[in-house]
Amino acid sequence: MNTKEKLKKILITDLNLEELAPEDIDDSAPLFGEGLGLDSLDAVELVVIIQKHFGIEIKDMEEGRSAFQSIEALAAYIDRRLAAA
Amino acid sequence: MKIAIQGIGVVGGFGTGVADMRQALLSGVSNRSSVHLSNCGEPLDLSALRAETSRLNDFVPIKAQRRIDNFSKLGLLGAYLALEDAGVLAEGPQERLGVVIASGYGATGITYAFLDSFINDGDICASPTYFANSVHNSAAAYISIMLGATGPSSTVSQFHLSVPSALQTAWLWLAEGRVDRVLFGAVDELSELIGYAWYRQRGRADHSDMIPLVTGRESAIPGEGAAFLLLSRQEEVQGGYCLIDHVTTGRFLKPGFLRTPDELLILGADGRRDMGANYAALTEKSNIACFTPLYGSMPAGPAFDLAVASLMLKEGKTFASPGGSECDFPAQVVPGGSSLEGSRVSSLTLSDDDGYGLVNLTQL
Repeated sequence: MNTKEKLKKILITDLNLEELAPEDIDDSAPLFGEGLGLDSLDAVELVVIIQKHFGIEIKDMEEGRSAFQSIEALAAYIDRRLAAA
Repeated sequence: MKIAIQGIGVVGGFGTGVADMRQALLSGVSNRSSVHLSNCGEPLDLSALRAETSRLNDFVPIKAQRRIDNFSKLGLLGAYLALEDAGVLAEGPQERLGVVIASGYGATGITYAFLDSFINDGDICASPTYFANSVHNSAAAYISIMLGATGPSSTVSQFHLSVPSALQTAWLWLAEGRVDRVLFGAVDELSELIGYAWYRQRGRADHSDMIPLVTGRESAIPGEGAAFLLLSRQEEVQGGYCLIDHVTTGRFLKPGFLRTPDELLILGADGRRDMGANYAALTEKSNIACFTPLYGSMPAGPAFDLAVASLMLKEGKTFASPGGSECDFPAQVVPGGSSLEGSRVSSLTLSDDDGYGLVNLTQL
């Protein structure tokens, strides 16, 4: 399973997006607002989820802002951080 | 001041809503289910009376429920059902509505999931959503927010006396004129943690039936659910179910105090053998009924008794005790279908430490 697929499954489970299946989530759609419809509390949850499941700590707000654009961006960020570790 | 009960919202082992509760009262049957325990040495299923919250989808979009834990869902469903039953749901935001919730255990499922996350993943990975749901008053807050209720909101926990204590709070708010209505409810959930505690203290609860009036025998089965009542000052409403005359709490009730021949006394006896003797001693020679087999053993139970009492007072007839008429102390178990003599019903709850709660209700 690649990072994008893994990420989608985790988000559905941990954010209780029960009405969605992984294939319903567009890789490039925004995570917040119009796309997946996440909000500011989800942003905090996302920071926790990334640390819990991938061991990656997001401390820099700007770094988080660009990583949280979409599933695609977040998966790329995770892969980059894991490769650099 | 007397308080009128305008609407009832119930969910428990008997089903969802007043119609399901009435049907279970007539048939004497609730749906036995179980709670799965995975941390008892070997996994097991503890027999239980569980509540089901899918009817909440009729009131709250599924997407809007995703952060709401099971305890709050039980509360929300009970609240919406009570407003629907009273015919006031379509009124929109309830600006002069107070919300008070009674719970013996609170939101244990989400609270212990939150605490477990500290142990498993470290405090830095604690979920903010779990934290929000673990806050004591979160269910009452969800209800207030979703109903647009801008009156006071509170949660009372006094274990088995939570219901009469919270009812006294509701009474005060109405007497002070702080609100026009109070949505009073009791909620308890049967989380795995509560199930585990039950199992360690009382075993598997695999009795064939609850027979709470046979006080010398252990027959308790754990339950969960929510029972809500929409309350108003008597002079400001028409219709409804019945009136609440008095709510009393105290300690060391003396034998004979409750011997009122014209009154039906609903006992909160729930098949726990250690409590049964106290009920027996206090209610000798009374006209009694007991409905705990309908919803199971839980601290929120007395609120279900108030719902059953309300239904009986509205219909002017008794329901049979679902545990049967067998009783091992000298009291009269009232049969189903009899007229309510004296038009009064009281609900008695005893706590483990000699405390009591007594609610007196009369016909409208």
